[in-house]
Amino acid sequence: MNAQPSKLFKRKPIIIAAILLIGFLSIQFIRPQITNPPVKAEIEAPAEVKSILTRACYDCHSNQTNLRWYDQISPVYWKVASHVNTGRKHLNFSNWQNLAPADQKAILWEAVNQIAAGAMPIKDYELVHPSAAVSKSDLEVLKKYVSSMSPKQISGDTAKINAADKQYVHWQKATADQAKLPKALNGITYIPDYKNWESISSTERFDNGTMRIIFGNPTAIKAIREHHINPWPNGTTFAKVAWDQITDKGGNVHTGAFKQVEYMIKDDKKYAATAGWGWARFKTDKLVPYGKTAMFTTECVSCHKPLSNTDFVFTSPIEH
Amino acid sequence: MKITYILFAASVFVLSACNNRKPSEELLNKKAAIPASFNFSKAGLKVITSSINKKEQTMSTLYGNDLALKTAISGTTSYPPGENLTLVTWSQQDDDRWFGAKIPGDLLSVEVVKIISSNTGSITTIYQRFTGKKLIKDIDTAHQQERINYIFSQKPSVMP
Repeated sequence: MNAQPSKLFKRKPIIIAAILLIGFLSIQFIRPQITNPPVKAEIEAPAEVKSILTRACYDCHSNQTNLRWYDQISPVYWKVASHVNTGRKHLNFSNWQNLAPADQKAILWEAVNQIAAGAMPIKDYELVHPSAAVSKSDLEVLKKYVSSMSPKQISGDTAKINAADKQYVHWQKATADQAKLPKALNGITYIPDYKNWESISSTERFDNGTMRIIFGNPTAIKAIREHHINPWPNGTTFAKVAWDQITDKGGNVHTGAFKQVEYMIKDDKKYAATAGWGWARFKTDKLVPYGKTAMFTTECVSCHKPLSNTDFVFTSPIEH
Repeated sequence: MKITYILFAASVFVLSACNNRKPSEELLNKKAAIPASFNFSKAGLKVITSSINKKEQTMSTLYGNDLALKTAISGTTSYPPGENLTLVTWSQQDDDRWFGAKIPGDLLSVEVVKIISSNTGSITTIYQRFTGKKLIKDIDTAHQQERINYIFSQKPSVMP
């Protein structure tokens, strides 16, 4: 009577192991694709910069993905494939030359900021690929590189002054009531009232030669006064307005042409899919909605993501 | 059992670290704050424009009441009584949330220009300057006209 159960007990681990092995082997056949298309328009950068990019970024942000043997094993492989495919969608150094120069610069500055904030390289990737880590000195190299590309401000830049003047005259004459307010592709309408809100901060952006004022609606101002800004209450709305910098002969910088206004509207239910905020950007004084599809908000969210512990807000508000 | 506790404690720690919201207090730009006693917000001023002084490493925002904003946009140089133009100046600091930006640091000064009409009907321009974190009224009256002229000369920023 005793012999049979003990035999079964002995066999049980083997059976379990066999099932697991079969399972493990069969999931190896589930393979999302990682292709390595030809590299036709790769980034050109100084050698020391390029070597950091290649080592730390290229696995997910180029067509030259280097899969280690352990990356090839499912389920690790699935994670790697998802990293690579989403990574390339956001930024692909192999297609770099296809981007407009201004976009290239903006992306590099954003990349440096993502690294500085510890958001890149993605932590679970770095854990398995320690060689991808960006050291402090690497970061300094990258910072120096992007800084070398920040636009030089010429005093009395006539092209900029003319553009600003033209816009100004047009604005000065414009009647306050706009017939039809433009709407972003995610349904957010331009809010002309921002200019009547209180300002909560300003920035000099030497990365792209603009200067900005950040306005907060009454809900935002109340939240600041009550120190309830993490998370910001629903209904909080920010407007960040950017202008060209115009430098006069004395080295003073004034606002030039209006570049854009960007909105963040807090509603943790309505905008749950986009980090709890509704995002919109309207460009030039023609107020052209930014984005080709409603998916433009993924750009907003990915850039603001490193700020998740400040409710995705870059601005440190000034109480007044 | 012990190991379960340790694992539980460790996972709570890891999860809380992931969800580490900074306290609101730490998120305010304290250095740049305008003291509540100044009643800046109550004046209901609107942004007219902003500027940066590269040499001094300062940044300023010019505010004004509706009347001042209207006059500024119209471009006229006759300033009606009731106007209030207020220029707030901060030193600059690096933005620790964005490499590539500078933001206001210490509050340096608030300059107020007001146009008032007296009982006799004469119109005068008053200039006041408050300095430092606590905005102590400045008794030095040198360069007042120069500052008034500078503040009046500011062109509004285009805000469609």
